[in-house]
Amino acid sequence: MVKRLLGLTLLAALSSCFATGDKSTPDAKRFGRVSELGEGEHGLAITCGKLFTLADDDAVLAPGLIVVRGKSIDYAGPVIDVPAGYELVDAPDLWAAPGMVDLHSHVQTGGWGDINDMVLPCNPNFRTSPTIVPANASIRRACAAGVTTLFGIPGSGTNNSGFGVLYKTRCSGNYEECVLADPGGMKVAQDYNPERSVDLGASRAGMAWTLEHFNSMAIAANEQGRDELALRNLQRVHKGELPVLIHTAGSDACHTTIRMWGEVHPDTRAVLSHGCFDGYRVAPYAARVGIPVNLGPRTFDWFQSEGEWVGTPERYEAAGANLVSVNTDAPVMPQEELFLQGAMGARYGASSYLMLKACTVHPAKSFGIDDKVGSLQPGRHADVVLWRGDPLDPRSFVEKVWIEGTLQYDRAAEGQRF
Amino acid sequence: MVAAAFATRALAAVAAGSVVATSAAQVAGERGGPGLALIASKALIASWDGPQFLDDAVLLVKDGKIERCVARESLEMPEGYHVVDLGGAWVMPGMIDLHSHIGGRGGDINDMVYQTNEGLRVSSAVVPRNLDMLRCLSAGVTSVLFIPGSGTNMGGQGVLIKTGLSEFEETRIRDPGSMKVAQGDNPTRWGYGMGRSMMNYHIRTSVRRGLAYAKRWEQFEQRGGERPLVDPQFETFRALSKHEAQISTHTQIYQLVHSTIRILKQEFGLDVFIDHGEWGGFLAAPEAERLGVAAIVGPREIDTPEGRQYTDGQILSCAGEFQARGLSKIGFNTDAPVVPAEELPLQAAVATRYGFDASSMQAVRGLTIVPAVVAGIDARVGSLEPGKDADVVVITGDPADPRSYVQRVWSNGREVYVAKEGARTW
Repeated sequence: MVKRLLGLTLLAALSSCFATGDKSTPDAKRFGRVSELGEGEHGLAITCGKLFTLADDDAVLAPGLIVVRGKSIDYAGPVIDVPAGYELVDAPDLWAAPGMVDLHSHVQTGGWGDINDMVLPCNPNFRTSPTIVPANASIRRACAAGVTTLFGIPGSGTNNSGFGVLYKTRCSGNYEECVLADPGGMKVAQDYNPERSVDLGASRAGMAWTLEHFNSMAIAANEQGRDELALRNLQRVHKGELPVLIHTAGSDACHTTIRMWGEVHPDTRAVLSHGCFDGYRVAPYAARVGIPVNLGPRTFDWFQSEGEWVGTPERYEAAGANLVSVNTDAPVMPQEELFLQGAMGARYGASSYLMLKACTVHPAKSFGIDDKVGSLQPGRHADVVLWRGDPLDPRSFVEKVWIEGTLQYDRAAEGQRF
Repeated sequence: MVAAAFATRALAAVAAGSVVATSAAQVAGERGGPGLALIASKALIASWDGPQFLDDAVLLVKDGKIERCVARESLEMPEGYHVVDLGGAWVMPGMIDLHSHIGGRGGDINDMVYQTNEGLRVSSAVVPRNLDMLRCLSAGVTSVLFIPGSGTNMGGQGVLIKTGLSEFEETRIRDPGSMKVAQGDNPTRWGYGMGRSMMNYHIRTSVRRGLAYAKRWEQFEQRGGERPLVDPQFETFRALSKHEAQISTHTQIYQLVHSTIRILKQEFGLDVFIDHGEWGGFLAAPEAERLGVAAIVGPREIDTPEGRQYTDGQILSCAGEFQARGLSKIGFNTDAPVVPAEELPLQAAVATRYGFDASSMQAVRGLTIVPAVVAGIDARVGSLEPGKDADVVVITGDPADPRSYVQRVWSNGREVYVAKEGARTW
């Protein structure tokens, strides 16, 4: 895996033909531009041995330079001269990559549960924001593992458990400083956990009906121009204003998910999450419909694969699925092990670079926040991680993490947190 | 390519390597592949009102469809066809089970909070080529109506699916396949003291509301105006109202079968068929025939004399009694897993054993063309006629004889089962 990633890097570095001391001016549209700092402005220039931009052109620079002004990135490209006044970080041995993004995470509460209200099977009127404990221990550990953006969501105890929050894994700060979007999106669960033995929803049909019942109420409210307090956010989902993350697994439930959210309600911005067990069997259908897939934390199957060990990301990649990403479902898997989901996806046959995208730019695109996070490009938040080697190699560790231009974690100063 | 690879692997698992499927495009009989000619000692054509069988026949299959079935002596073999001589075996259409619960992961068919659940769709529970379906295939059952259980008066909507195919989209024949209604017995809430009168009141109320919903949509489609709001609870009534789907009814004993016919068919004008029909249900055969209601009998094929006022001490064949009382459309079901799905042909055999007249291929028809017509899918399946899906079963003899066994099965022109001699699945 490491070898494949290195090979790709080398190829990209050669093709971009930039090296230290090259005096030609890099393409400003592609990499951005560096300007003089204004009065009182803070600037940061990070030189690294290798730079994964995760931009659409898949640019990889060796060496590379990231220039940050204030909270966002001005420049990420080949090494050029930086004006005076910038704080300089010289890390020729380290690799830089964007902070990772996990769309399926429950650590916002600080480990006190508090993610399931299960009296009713469908709760689009709920928000998870009253449960957030910013900068809690799980969040700080996630930060030290290069994970900088989380979609903190309610659990899968009910078919619709309400609306989650997109936030940064800042190691200090309050709600206002950490939260990127509240509500950040809706959480739906269509299989296993939300099954109810004494209530409607004992079967997949019952659960699907429950969801469609609420969907139809929200659509009706939209069509009639009503603003219903309990349905307000679900109405926004059906207008395409908020994304939906859908807990679903097994080929039957995955198929229902794709049909319901991708085909029956194409205006919604749905992301299929988990897709475990034999969920890979509907990968061609997912690819046809174009629904983004967010796989994990079980990235393999051997129960129903007729004796063969199947890598779920590999099957979705082979089918040409849109925006394959991975998740930890933390604390189901520790939040700090998001990179390992990518590594294991590659271990089971997916390509390494796709798995790096699956931890960064793909989840950001799936949720429509790629103009802010997920890649190192001009105008994006300066969420930068310096790794001692390949981010997907468990032997690498994180040296430094900046979130929106502020240093959050420094291994040299405070010891290795993960 | 993943789908193709999976199909190949799945085939290998079933057929233990006796099928070599190189790629979907090249295989004879499949879509895009060359033609396939099957030479059989007898072809059970089972058309609705045309030829029933042909001796020394050749069945031509191309692009997943049946081209034609002709006498061997009259055929000049067309060029490029892959010819398979089946020896002394027969060919017949894939069998159809209109009462089956094995389409999913097992269970997953009853949501019992409410008494009527017309909005539920069991299509959300389908797992193609699950182990039960693979056993179905080894008995030549290529299509099933996968329906919700009878835990409530309306269990929800069934889906018509093929048993041998891997991809969900390809598997589906029609959704909704039917609305499942259960008029008595299982859905009775004994603890609350609910009886048949109240249950049928629930059914009536739901159907009335559903048809009113369908009518609003039909008026909108014909005359425009304000578009009605979509209500997932009643959506399926739009298909029922247009006769694009049927009601499949768990019903038995005379008074319930009679209620099925009188309420659902006569009062509401919906297409309905009788499922089960045991314990004297056949007494309502004349009304059923008059109103064009079919009976899909099983999985209890017999009525025993104990405590039954309508038998004279002998064991009766339910299908046979429906037949003797004038019902023309009679098929069979297993209610699998109540009776194993692979025992569908045995249902016809038992019926025949106790008096069902199969002298004009009624047993074969009850396993093939009758259920196809009853479910409204006879344009695609149910007989070996030109243009239909190539769902073809190779069997050693009469399917209603338990000593016959299935050797090979094609579905949509793809070979999906090959019996391993000495180690057959069924």
